[in-house]
Amino acid sequence: MRVQTANPMSLHLKINGEDRVSISDPLTPLVDVLRDEFFLTGAKVVCREGFCGACIVLLDGRPVVSCLMPAGMAADCDVRTVESLASGDGLSPLQRALEQHDVVQCGMCFPGILMSLTSYFEHAHSPNREDMKAALVGNICRCTGYERILDAALSLVQSFEAP
Amino acid sequence: MSTTAEGRLYVARTVHDAVAALSDRGPEGAPLAGATWIMRTPLRQEQHKPFYVAISKIEALRQLTVHDREISIGACVTHAELASQLSSVPDCRALALAASNAANPAIRQVATIGGNLCAANFAAADLVPALLCLDAEIELEASGGTERIAVSRFLDIRASLKPGHFVRRVIVARAPRHSVHVRLPLRKAGDYPVAILSLAVTLDASGIVNSAKVAVGSVELTARRWQELEADLINRPLDPQHAADKAESHCGAFQARDGVEAPGWYRVKVLPSLVRKAVRALREQA
Repeated sequence: MRVQTANPMSLHLKINGEDRVSISDPLTPLVDVLRDEFFLTGAKVVCREGFCGACIVLLDGRPVVSCLMPAGMAADCDVRTVESLASGDGLSPLQRALEQHDVVQCGMCFPGILMSLTSYFEHAHSPNREDMKAALVGNICRCTGYERILDAALSLVQSFEAP
Repeated sequence: MSTTAEGRLYVARTVHDAVAALSDRGPEGAPLAGATWIMRTPLRQEQHKPFYVAISKIEALRQLTVHDREISIGACVTHAELASQLSSVPDCRALALAASNAANPAIRQVATIGGNLCAANFAAADLVPALLCLDAEIELEASGGTERIAVSRFLDIRASLKPGHFVRRVIVARAPRHSVHVRLPLRKAGDYPVAILSLAVTLDASGIVNSAKVAVGSVELTARRWQELEADLINRPLDPQHAADKAESHCGAFQARDGVEAPGWYRVKVLPSLVRKAVRALREQA
């Protein structure tokens, strides 16, 4: 029987393409391991109930709320955080679109919104405003206004479609 | 570390493995599927179990198979998988709708049908009324073998399951039924519905209702069938206003719960409107 315990060096994770070893109890919320142990502070701890979406990361390409994901359940999975989107000093096209539309304000919700939209663009066959709204219903923003976020994301679609 | 769970976690890879691990731990252990309910245990001022056995990596529990006579849904099939795989199965529409509207997309990626059924204190579980109206059955796994019981029976005993028992799969018998699932949240997502209503009917060739199953969730502590209303829907065509009027006359049947999102009286008050909406949707479907 393979029992994962709270012993140090017991939890192997793959985060943003790198193999990492955590000393946390496997029931520790993944967001705490990311932030407190690996200093990946992009994912935010806000509600801890899975309601706000500020802690969303991608687990095998799908958005999950990392506040309700036991770190031990993320072993053997590919974890991607918002820190993985930019390469070097270059922002991802989605990050650039949001910046160019001056959408980002306080920044608490944005890591989650970026990860939800990143997953959406990776899986959507025909990206459109209504589907984007549905993809973002679990991301709560209290300052920017969702329509501008959608405008920015849609500009990305239009730029791909432009000849 | 701002939050540290004190328990231990064993990730089982086979059903046999999970049964053995749970039997070993007895009352100190519990199965863990999507974890979205159990991870919020401290927020409910409750204690974690000392030991959890993760069952969501067991391939056999992640299978959804549509047969001619029944649909078999492994306990660890997620809401997102249910919504996607049942979208083209007409007789299971209530369950597909419940799965596609519950919570939010990130929760639906991990929350499972087994977890939804086993969260005994979660009154607003969307899948439960849908399964009740579809007359679903539960297959329980234990060291002594498997046992198959109705969902309604499972809801009665789920809080007192013997150690080592867990839900292996959910079975929905195929039938030429029409079904629908409607809910009233206060926002589009991110809160629990005030009330949930699932309705399944079979119709004869002239559109007369032969059988009707109505289930209500989030109003009382546990979802249940609304049999007083079912009787009034049978032997007549689908009529949204008639159904809503009858619902109004049977609202006294509920012992509604108060909650932060709505008082009990309001949960009951909205039921006739949900019934009207559900019957209207069924009529369009039929």
